[in-house]
Parts: sequence; C-alpha cells; structure tokens
Amino acid sequence: MTSQTLITPDPALDSAMRPRGIPSTLGRVLREPRVWLGLIGILTLIVTAAFAPWLAPHGPNDQDLLHTLLPPMWAEGGTSDYPLGTDSLGQCILSRLIYSAQVVALVGLLAPLGAALVGVPMAILSGYIGGRVDWLIMRAVDIWMSFPAVVLALVLMVALSPGLTNVILAIIVVDWTRFCRVLRSEVMVLRRRNYIAAAQLTGATHLQVILRDIAPGLMPQLLTLLSIEMGVSIIAEAILSFVGVSMEPSIPTWGMMIADGLKSVFSAPWGLIAPVICMTVTVLACTLLGDGLRQTLDPRLLERVRG
Amino acid sequence: MLLGLFKSLWRIGLLVFIALVVFVVLRLLPADPVGMMLPPGATEADRAELNRTLGLDRPMLVQFTIWLGKALHGDLGTSIASGLPVTERILHALPTTLQLVALGLLGGAILGVGAGLLAFRFRKTPIESGVQVANSLAISIPEFLWAILLILGVGIGLQWLPFLGPIDGAYSVQRITGFLLLDTLLVGDWAAFASVCAHLALPVLALSLGVAPPLMRIAHASLVDTYAEDYVAAARLRGLGENRILMRHALKNAALPTVAMLGLQAGSLIGGTLLIETIFGFPGIGSLMVQSLGVHDLFMIQGLALTYAVTVQIMNTLADAALYALNPRLRLQ
Repeated sequence: MTSQTLITPDPALDSAMRPRGIPSTLGRVLREPRVWLGLIGILTLIVTAAFAPWLAPHGPNDQDLLHTLLPPMWAEGGTSDYPLGTDSLGQCILSRLIYSAQVVALVGLLAPLGAALVGVPMAILSGYIGGRVDWLIMRAVDIWMSFPAVVLALVLMVALSPGLTNVILAIIVVDWTRFCRVLRSEVMVLRRRNYIAAAQLTGATHLQVILRDIAPGLMPQLLTLLSIEMGVSIIAEAILSFVGVSMEPSIPTWGMMIADGLKSVFSAPWGLIAPVICMTVTVLACTLLGDGLRQTLDPRLLERVRG
Repeated sequence: MLLGLFKSLWRIGLLVFIALVVFVVLRLLPADPVGMMLPPGATEADRAELNRTLGLDRPMLVQFTIWLGKALHGDLGTSIASGLPVTERILHALPTTLQLVALGLLGGAILGVGAGLLAFRFRKTPIESGVQVANSLAISIPEFLWAILLILGVGIGLQWLPFLGPIDGAYSVQRITGFLLLDTLLVGDWAAFASVCAHLALPVLALSLGVAPPLMRIAHASLVDTYAEDYVAAARLRGLGENRILMRHALKNAALPTVAMLGLQAGSLIGGTLLIETIFGFPGIGSLMVQSLGVHDLFMIQGLALTYAVTVQIMNTLADAALYALNPRLRLQ
C-alpha cells in the first residue's frame, strides 16, 4: 500500500463515527414497525415451508380429474375439500401454494447469502486494495451490468439444467454485483476514516483491519442489501419458473402456478390470483424489512435526522 | 469529445467479451441440439458429417472467431429449429421489442418524473408522503408482477383493455417498417391503429411502472438538492413565482441524475420486455428467446443474447450522449 498523507487521529470525532453499542441499536431496530411487518411476513413463509406436509390438505401433485377448475369454497360450486379450488389438472391450489413456499423459502434464504459470500469479499478487495485489483473487479461488474439480468439468468439456466441448486447458483452468479458495487463504495469511505489509520499505525495487519474495523462498519448496509436481495431472488426464481426453466415439473412454484393460471384465467381466475397475492405479499415483506433496517441502521441517515 | 469516443471504444471491447462469455456458456449445454436435427435412425457417420458442416468439430476458440467474424457481417448462423437465418428472424422480431422499450421508457420517465415533481411541488404535505409511501411499495414490484396484476385488474376484472397479442386478430396490416404503430399509420388504417394502441396500453404501463419508482426517488432527491443552491434563492429574491423557478431553473439541473438513472435502468427495462412479451403474447425477440430456450436452439440463443447486449450498450451510449448534451461542465473537461 502506498503511504498516505499523515492523518492525526481525532479520538473524539472517531468515537462519534464508530458504530454505537449493540443494545441501543437492536432496540432502535425492534421499535421500527416496518422491521416487524417484514419479519412476520418472512417468518410466516419459513413456517409454511417447514410444515407444508402438515398444513396442506392434499399432496402438491395429487390430481382429481373429476374436479378440475373448481372455484374456491366460498363461491358457488366450490367445496371445502379444495378451499381455493383446483387447477386444470384437478390439483388443489391451496396445497400447491403451500408446497411452493418450500422452494421460495430456500431460494430466498440461500441465494442472498451466496451472493453476499461472493460479493462482499470482492467489494473489500476492490475498495481496500484499490489500484489494478479494483479496476479488474469493476470491469467485471461492468460486463455483468451490460446484460439484462433476466437474459443472463435464462442463458445460465439452460446451460445448467433445471433444479434447486442450479437456480440458486444462477441467481448468485447474476446478482453478486449488487453487493460488490454498493459495499465497495462503503469500504472506500471507511478506509479513509481516522480509526482505520489509527489501527494501521498501531501495527494491525490488513486482515485484522478488515475483520475488526472495516467489516463491522459494513454490517448495516449488508443487512439491508440481504433483505432486498431476498425479494429480488424470490422474483428471479418466479420468473425462471414462469418461463419454465427453473425446477422439475413435479415441484410446484409460484412462478409455475402463475404460468398455469394465466392459461386458464377465464375459467378459474383463482389459480392466478392466489399465487400473485402470495408473491406480492412476500416481496413487499422483504422490501419493508430492508427499508426498516436502512432507516434504523444507516449511520448517515441517522446523522441527518439528528442534525 | 475524445473522452466520449474512448468510452464508445471500450464498449466495443466489452461486447466482444460478452459474446465470448455467451459462446462458452452455451457450449456447456447438457442438451444435444445436433441430435435433434438428425433424422431418426441416423448413424454416427451422419452425426459427424453434420457436426462438420456446422463447424462444431473445431476447437472452441476457432469456432468463436469464425462466428464473431460472420456476426460482424450480420450473419449469425442458421436457426437449428426453423432452418431460417438467425439474423432474419431477429430483425423480423426486433421492431416489436424496440417499440415496447421506447414506449416503456417514455411512459416510465413521464410517470417517474411526474410523481417526483408532484411530491416536490407539494413538499411537506400529505401528498408528498403519500407519493413516497406508494413509491417505496411500488419499487419492489417488478414489471413481471405488474403485468399480471394489470391483466387481473384491468384486463379481466374491469375488461377495459385487451391483453393478448399486439393487435386484434380481425386486422391484417401490411408489414412496412415492422413497427405496428407506424405501419398502421402509414397505411392509414385508423381502426387498426386504435387496436394497436389498446393492445399496447397494458404492456407499456407494466414496463413504465417498473421503471418509474427509482426515477421518482432520484428526481425528487435531486430537486431537493437543487433547491439548496444559491441560484434558486437568487431567483426567488428576484420575485419569480414558485412554478417558474421549478420549471425554468431547477428542473434542468435536477434532470442530470435522472437521465443518468434512466441509462442505468436500460438493462432492466430491456430484460423486462422479455417477460412482458411472453406474458402478453407479443412476437418480439423476448418471445423468440423463450421459444429458442425451450428447444435449445443454440445459434438462435447466441444471436439473441448478443442482440440484447448490443441493445443495452446502445441505450447506455445514448444516455451518455444525453448527459453530455445536458451538462456543459462535462464538455469542458
């Protein structure tokens, strides 16, 4: 690393800039209603996914060919056997919705983590080392960004063949740039802080500086990004299964249900309405959580509020 | 000027690299497109023969160079599924997509900047917070979901607008430019023109709603920043009315980040048309892509992926040019 101009650490200023104590931060986050709403939505999804076999009245692929395209139970002709009616193959819409939550929850939890695992180290390398490494990583990001994400994901899925692991892999390969871009600029800001210079002067190694001083400063942004990415990856999976390249046909997903529902929308609109509502609510929950976290965790927003 | 030129050159290098990535990724296909082309009962010799005619037996880098060289001359190979030249099929479908992109961008800009202006003009009132809340909810809903929601609400619920195909089946329009809006006008068939407009309404609205929220956020924020500048205070001291300050002084300066944002969104908008075309049954390059993916039409997918990348690059270059034209400070550097 090139020697920078000598910065005299200013302890008073630095202590004001450093992350505040954990308890007060946690309290602030938990007092935010948007965080609660978001968490409740996501927990509901996870619980539904985990207990799907007990919650669903039927198996996801059980066909009742005598009762195809039934309306929901409250409409005329509906039965309580199929609370939300059946689709064109006589499959229970409610059960398929519930089983779909399994794929959605797995993708929504694993894909953001994977994208972060790739994106965060890249961001730190890029922002902390700078120079040629930074140039190289940013050009890679440029290449990624010059592709519509949908097209890239579709091409990858065709090359990879359908399946849960491959869907998650494709989303990670497409979306790691979001973490890299946003966090890189954050690392660059943090690197110029006085406490980093102070840590380097006391003889801390680069690794120590990154782990002890840079990484904690990235946490607020990282948590926000993770919850945003959760919504994004759920949508991405829905798009892939809508086009028909995501999962094997035997595993239901909301995107697949939307594609099926669109075909028989005039005879059984609930086959389309139900998965659309589930998607919208889930994605909104992720957005609310992200918004709430950003408002309560971002130190710059807080400073602006406090003046 | 030199800077602008350098930027464009760098984009060409980028495109070559993208072409290489697509090429290599698609060679990893698990499916066997050659097997699908062969007649039943074909021998190994037939297969080798076909491989040779398609050039699939050469090293990958050689294949890539040949393909790229031909692509530069507008020859993207022959579609495996239909036997037609890839370029021809793409050019046939492209106008439909470009029409959607242009209208979606226009609609998104009007909606986003309009909402930003509205929120700013009525700042510190319930209107501002209303627009902001609506915006932060809308920002998480992609074109894909908007399309379905619009079909459910407007198309099926209210039955106001059609949502299948680019034009009513009763009309047949002679193909002149391929842009249906233009063609119907050129022929002078007003009923067909009205039908095209009605069929475009929902897809364009879905695209616009996908583009608008980030634009609104940035238009609003940059208006707030612009109003902190001295020249706005000076204009107010000169006694100019609030609307005049907004339109004459603040808007042009606040437009810069908004235009930059519009350029950044080009990629997601063009990706969005792929789904919009699939959902609404428009015969654009998105529908073509989905069909080709289904039958593993290798050369088609390659050509289309490249078309998408080129389109994104052209849109980005246009956004750069617009920024350059809007901001005199960029020209001085």
